[in-house]
Amino acid sequence: MKRKALATTLAAVMALGLAACGGGSSASTAAGGDAASTAASTAASTAAAPAASSGDYDLRLVNGKIEVDAQLKELAAAYEAETGVKVQIESMGGGIDIQGTLKGYYQADNMPDIFVNGGDTDFANWEGLLVDMKDEAWVSDTEAAYVDAKGQVLGFPYTTEAIGLAYNADILEKAGIDPATITTPAAMKSMFETIDAKKDELGLTAVIGYCAEATNLYWSTGNHLFGIYEDGGLKRDDTTYFDMLSDGGKIDEARFAKYAEMIALFNQYSDPALLVSGTYDQQILNFASGKYAFVTQGSWIGATMTSDDKEAYEAAGSFKVGMLPYAFEDGIDTIQTNSPSWWAVFNNDNADKAKAFLAWCAGDAGQKILVEKAGFISPFTSCKYIAADPFAQTIADYTAAGKTSAWHWLGNKEGLAQNALGVVYQDFASGGLDTEGFCKAVAQVCAQYYAS
Amino acid sequence: MNQKKLISIALLAVGIILLAASLAMDFSGSGNPMRGPMLIIGIIAFFAGLYFFPTEKHHRKIVYIIFLFPLLFTFGVTVIIPLVLGIGYSFTDWTGIRFTQFVGFANYTSMFSDPAFIYSILITFVFVVMNIVLVNVIAFLLALLCTSKIKGEGFFRAAYFLPNLIGGIVLGYIWQFVFNNVIINMTGGISLLSKSRSAMIAIVVVYIWQYAGYIMLIYVTGLTQVPKDVLEAAQIDGANAVETLFNIKIPMIASTVTICTFLTLTSAFKQFDVNMALTNGAGSVPNFMGNYLSNGTQMLALNIYNTAIAKNSYALGQAKAVLFFIILAIVSLIQVRVSNKREVEM
Repeated sequence: MKRKALATTLAAVMALGLAACGGGSSASTAAGGDAASTAASTAASTAAAPAASSGDYDLRLVNGKIEVDAQLKELAAAYEAETGVKVQIESMGGGIDIQGTLKGYYQADNMPDIFVNGGDTDFANWEGLLVDMKDEAWVSDTEAAYVDAKGQVLGFPYTTEAIGLAYNADILEKAGIDPATITTPAAMKSMFETIDAKKDELGLTAVIGYCAEATNLYWSTGNHLFGIYEDGGLKRDDTTYFDMLSDGGKIDEARFAKYAEMIALFNQYSDPALLVSGTYDQQILNFASGKYAFVTQGSWIGATMTSDDKEAYEAAGSFKVGMLPYAFEDGIDTIQTNSPSWWAVFNNDNADKAKAFLAWCAGDAGQKILVEKAGFISPFTSCKYIAADPFAQTIADYTAAGKTSAWHWLGNKEGLAQNALGVVYQDFASGGLDTEGFCKAVAQVCAQYYAS
Repeated sequence: MNQKKLISIALLAVGIILLAASLAMDFSGSGNPMRGPMLIIGIIAFFAGLYFFPTEKHHRKIVYIIFLFPLLFTFGVTVIIPLVLGIGYSFTDWTGIRFTQFVGFANYTSMFSDPAFIYSILITFVFVVMNIVLVNVIAFLLALLCTSKIKGEGFFRAAYFLPNLIGGIVLGYIWQFVFNNVIINMTGGISLLSKSRSAMIAIVVVYIWQYAGYIMLIYVTGLTQVPKDVLEAAQIDGANAVETLFNIKIPMIASTVTICTFLTLTSAFKQFDVNMALTNGAGSVPNFMGNYLSNGTQMLALNIYNTAIAKNSYALGQAKAVLFFIILAIVSLIQVRVSNKREVEM
């Protein structure tokens, strides 16, 4: 009898434990919600009520630019103050595979309401699951919205970025070089030689900060620098080389050979300490400190230079910067500008709220924060703010002169940079391949990658 | 008696109905907030009914089942269901979001025509063999050191074990920094991580650093359990330290050796986090089966992950994972069989 009583007690305890575990999640969410609404004072209690979906926010945005995390939170706070809708910003940084994480969220039924998508391949993942925003007012205000093949407006453009050979204008001036004259490979080469000869005088560690490290910086070489081969110097709607690549990974040999000469030049004049083992942070810090005349990164480094590396940048005299065309062929006089990624709205019950938030972002109040605080270069024609970003002026100049190319590497086969190209650039930089071998290896890995 | 039966049947019925209703609501995507509690109450009612069911013959079995249920349930949800689903997905064109058709064995045939994958399998085997030998030898030497009554024995044990407490990802990034900023000065400005072969060596070094301390602890336990009388007898017979080690200690801890070999074998096979954080599989192989490969340090687990995540081929990754499962299952079965045989002989 005693044993039976013990067994019953144990069984009861187990059952209770099970119930506690199972009920735990819903109970704690409710508790969290209560606490939040109590804390948010009595006046705001009406606003807290509609948060029926989950947690203590109304909208969740997955941002792919971790460098502007704080600024986007500021944006969310401003929106909350104005409308009472709380937007949670979830930022994911450079090396993280955002699409992979999002798929995990999708499987776990934990999708954000707004999330970042980087191009055709990303949007194709979510076919049929995104909201068509063609009726929104901002669509007519920009040319940079993401429109898919069926004419649906799926992506909200939030910034414009540029890829060009970023330079330190002060150093070029001291070395007596006029950036406007650099439109041929020969001019580029002699410029590098000139600066290299005056390295000590100018206080430089190396002429150019080029990193071909394949583990963490594959995106710089495999996407951005390879993208120069794909689109450099072309008209914005010219997709000749991108189409060739899409057709079984074909590479135009003549064009690529010239391009490889330029990369060889970078290998030669880059900082050996960072060439195959550097990190993005070191690369940008050194450029911001005035140790390099050039850096092979795009306009996004402006945000890093004025926030994380602020002290070094100010110590180096807050020098002016600009961008040169990557002139690997005679006559290339354009830099590449594009929307790096778009915000898409997931088709769920919150879609209308999400659209309202994006409409607000495209409006005056939202643009003020996005442009002046986050340093975004507005893709909207009605926007009257000018970013404090060091590169804003040079982008505006090239755009006004009509000397911009687009970029299409966002449509490269998924993972091409990480799984194939990054290593080839590293191998070339570390001397494992010569220029000819580099051309062959790139052609070979592309063909293989597109075949599998 | 009859009344009791009635109650238990009623409880069982209520439990099943609640369970079925809550599951139906779940699958139909209903947002009813009561479905969670309904599920729990249903399970409790069902087991209560089962427990009170008046049967002499099966009562003991029922109690066993009730007590085993939490474990079985968790095992089913976290292991069995994903395994079955995973095998299923490997025959489709699953994208991680949805699938449109069954493709039969296409994923399996395509993975064997991929040189990068074959290369991954090969270097995984090389890595495993190297690690079994090196980790065990180093761990055993450390264990000897830590049982030799030197000063600060406790400190050494803790110090050698400590790396095992650091997560693999963190450890990978720490060592990446060490290789790229410190050791680079000793290797002539070329980072070990920038060439495939030296990067593999780097991974092996880090792995030993992480794992040897853990295996050492197991050897220490084994060594301290060698009976004192045997050691004393050997001493009286005039055996020196080396003879004692090879003729007494090592045979006495044969079962520990088996356990350690088994542990290093499976964990080296599943190596993922250090590999990912340290090199992320990067490294060039100029000519493998006539191809230029760019995954010179990518081991099997990382290859599977990259296929699914970075290359966005979830179904192919899943097929590779099934193969991985089969390889590991075979290796483990052989290992268990061998070790059982040896222990019988002992």
